[in-house]
Amino acid sequence: MNPQSISTLFDDNAMRAMGPLFALTLGALVLLLVGVIPVLHAARHLVVAATLIAAMLLQIGLVNDPVTEVVIAGTYAADRTSALWGVLFCVATLLSWLFSLHYYSEDRPFQLEHDFLMLITPIGMMLMAGAQDLMVFFVGLEVLSIPLYALAAFRRNRARSIEAGLKYFLLGAFAAAFFLYGAALVYAASGSVSFAELRLADRTAPMFVAGVALIMASVFFKISVFPFHLWVPDVYEGSPTPVTALMATGTKAAAFAFLLNAAFLVPASQAGMIVAVALITMAIGNLGALMQNDVKRMLAYSGIAHAGTILLVIAGYMSGELLRDAALDAALFYMGAYVFTAAGAFGLLAVLERSGDGSTTLESLKGLSTRRPALAAAMTLFLLSLGGIPATGGFLGKWFVFSVSYRSGFVVATVIAALLSVVGMAYYLRVVVAMYMQPQSKLLGEPVEPHPGSNVPMALATAVCAVFVLAMGMLPGYFLDQLR
Amino acid sequence: MTSLTWLTFLPLVGALAVLLTPSTAVQLQRMIALSTTLAVAVLGFLIYRQFDAALLDPQNVVSIPWFQLEGGPAIHFKLGVDGLSILMVALTALLMPIVILSTWGHVDKRVKEFMVWMLVMETGMLGVFLALDLVLFYFFWEISLIPLYFLVGIWGGERRLYATVKFFLYTLAGSLVMLVAVIAMLYRFGTADIGALTQQAGALAVADQSWLFAAFALAFAIKVPMMPFHTWLADAHTEAPTSGSVVLAGVLLKLGTYGLLRFCIAMFPGAAVEWAWLFMGIGAIGIVYGAFLAMAQNDLKRLVACSSVSHLGYVILGMFALTSAGLQGGMLQMINHGLSTGMLFLLVGMIYERRHTRALDEFGGIASSMPLFAVFLVIAVLSSAALPGLNGFIGEYLILKGAFDVSPALAVIGVLGVIFGSIYLLVATRKVLFGPLTRRENRELSDLDLREVSLLLPIVVFIVWIGVAPTPFLAQSQPAIDRVVRRCSEARALKFASLSPQRPGETAALSSQAPIR
Repeated sequence: MNPQSISTLFDDNAMRAMGPLFALTLGALVLLLVGVIPVLHAARHLVVAATLIAAMLLQIGLVNDPVTEVVIAGTYAADRTSALWGVLFCVATLLSWLFSLHYYSEDRPFQLEHDFLMLITPIGMMLMAGAQDLMVFFVGLEVLSIPLYALAAFRRNRARSIEAGLKYFLLGAFAAAFFLYGAALVYAASGSVSFAELRLADRTAPMFVAGVALIMASVFFKISVFPFHLWVPDVYEGSPTPVTALMATGTKAAAFAFLLNAAFLVPASQAGMIVAVALITMAIGNLGALMQNDVKRMLAYSGIAHAGTILLVIAGYMSGELLRDAALDAALFYMGAYVFTAAGAFGLLAVLERSGDGSTTLESLKGLSTRRPALAAAMTLFLLSLGGIPATGGFLGKWFVFSVSYRSGFVVATVIAALLSVVGMAYYLRVVVAMYMQPQSKLLGEPVEPHPGSNVPMALATAVCAVFVLAMGMLPGYFLDQLR
Repeated sequence: MTSLTWLTFLPLVGALAVLLTPSTAVQLQRMIALSTTLAVAVLGFLIYRQFDAALLDPQNVVSIPWFQLEGGPAIHFKLGVDGLSILMVALTALLMPIVILSTWGHVDKRVKEFMVWMLVMETGMLGVFLALDLVLFYFFWEISLIPLYFLVGIWGGERRLYATVKFFLYTLAGSLVMLVAVIAMLYRFGTADIGALTQQAGALAVADQSWLFAAFALAFAIKVPMMPFHTWLADAHTEAPTSGSVVLAGVLLKLGTYGLLRFCIAMFPGAAVEWAWLFMGIGAIGIVYGAFLAMAQNDLKRLVACSSVSHLGYVILGMFALTSAGLQGGMLQMINHGLSTGMLFLLVGMIYERRHTRALDEFGGIASSMPLFAVFLVIAVLSSAALPGLNGFIGEYLILKGAFDVSPALAVIGVLGVIFGSIYLLVATRKVLFGPLTRRENRELSDLDLREVSLLLPIVVFIVWIGVAPTPFLAQSQPAIDRVVRRCSEARALKFASLSPQRPGETAALSSQAPIR
């Protein structure tokens, strides 16, 4: 490629669109550098925080003044929607990172590598959300996934963590292969991998349909939708909890962002099938969670159920031009609320793992409200938001999703989804019951605080999550205005 | 900030104030809660005084734009009081200070949390009654579940966990079906304003109305609770702390009957006319069934809980007669039930605090050791059994009159309920108060103290007042009820017109009056 074409590719707009990506890459490299110079060691947390905040501010700048054209030869878009997703990715990473700061004990010496890997993940997410080309999406997917494989196995002394990493890696590799195979078939059928050209192409050829099916299988794997959800409980449970938080919020949001962009690939007549998949996913997630005694595993299943809920929006998005905007709003609002809620919930589990007997079973949560009232109250708030009780962002998110699914004509499905969320509430209540209504279990050892004062970043992250969950629940107007 | 916003959110402010106190300052927390609820009671009284029943439109309206979803109607934060809600608001404002005062005796652990939840509950309940925006209504409706869940779950009796989770999931299931109906209404009519929706929904074809009616009715029927859904009530009541039971019986159950009136009947008169027979039937069965259940109980609190099922059967029977007398009777009976059943729960709580049992056969003859208690219990029982001169009589008379005009057979069943009601109430009273004083523990019981008397007295005042001079209370809701009755008669006229095909000209004329969307 000659220099001339590179300069036309990376014109001003492209530079602006890629700004957050550059900021993150630069920050990650600086972090590595700071790591090897002992004098600068103290500054590493500052570098991570500054990088993520800078990327977020750049994304907010793009929200207010989006790049209208698709840049870099029509492969990457920084429109308002993908910039909004970008803000969400930065928030998810920042929250997970804050919760990870005092999480590791035996692997603390490797915190630098951990933070570096975490800083890389939002780059992948942004590429996925902004991709206007199957190959760019694939690059994003891998940039996101490879650090996550390592992060999932980060607690090397724990067999479960290694198992989680290996499982995630093997299945993720399969999913990636599915995607490539699908993209190859699509290319073979239409001669292009660019969305702009695929929109014009004949999308009914059997080879094309088969390719799209493979691509969807791969994306469904990432968002943990039936029948590609089986890895979720093991991986979520085994991974270090802050990494679980990142997977549950960031990865899922990125895959959904792509799914909304790529929904045109799926014939609109298949919306019914998507709804069916959504309902089965919700049923499996909610019923599975009902059986769990470990809260972390319970939240993993609840994550499956939430993926099912948001899939209803995708179906609505597919079913008509009329609902596009409403569906997009609903998806962004729902995922926004979910990022704060799930990050908060998993983060608090991370806090719990660092104190007491280090487990997150219902048994060990008994009597938490008297031991740590603020933590129990925050956890309750997040659980109520996950369950969709008013005054929390989770309720309005659910409301918007149901509105879209009702308007797209799936009335019965909406009623079933509503009833399935009652099942959801049943297991969230089990946690609240344990925290507030049952006395502390005698088996539990004396609660230990690992480091005095070490909870400051966690408390900060929890407070941010709680404030946003409540604000999104009570003043949704402000957030909805941002979406337009 | 108008007074209604203050009225609704003052308890929340109080709750925040309680939150800020140190958890050991129990007296301070109690005083904050009591003074907050008293302030709400004063505000409620002022609003009650200002209220002009002749104006049909909601009064003291506050309306602030809240949010709007793409392609959906604008949602407002809209509160207002009208003839259907004024009595409910007054009842809530009156009962809450009494409830708070009653907790002095039985809540001594985790007082701070208790007061917070009580105050949050008051905000939720007032919000439900005052909301004039469908979304806001739903918002408060579901929020009001949370406090009771904690109140029963933390301060309840032995099987409290089972009871509270059952209560929560039962009501939530109903609510979520209603949520879908709410969404349907919003997008069908393009507005969330309850007044506008009431205007427009009545014009829907009866078949369309019936679906929405059914979804709303399910949520309300579970809350009331109506007959097949009543099982959560006995558990929740039995396990709840006294104050929780009083709020539950006094106000929370009224959310269901109030919802039936404002939404199912006023909003969907066509469907209400169509399905009135079903609801009247269930109401009548509920009266007798609840009475039989009550007769079989040995636990005093469970007995009162079962009598609730019976009393709420009257409310349903009266309201779905869809006549002026029936609806007014139902309305008044909601207040009566709040007062008399609330008082019964308070009394049961007082004796439980002294004896730590509620089993009927543990008592006997305590009228001699607790004469004041005996007087109050007899008043409450007679009010509950509808003795003329007390409030219950007025309500049940109006209900039975309304029902008789529509279906004499059901009215007869209702009258049987009155008889059964007297049986179980008087038998229980005899077992507790009279007969030989056999047990030593009962001989040493101390009578009611000043606090207990002072929280019962206001209820007694209203029991007698409504019984002797019900007109001022009925007048508050009469014009609003008349309008509902008018709507229902129009719907009924339409129904019978369409049922008589031999007069096609009239049918066409009538149906052309109603724009069908």
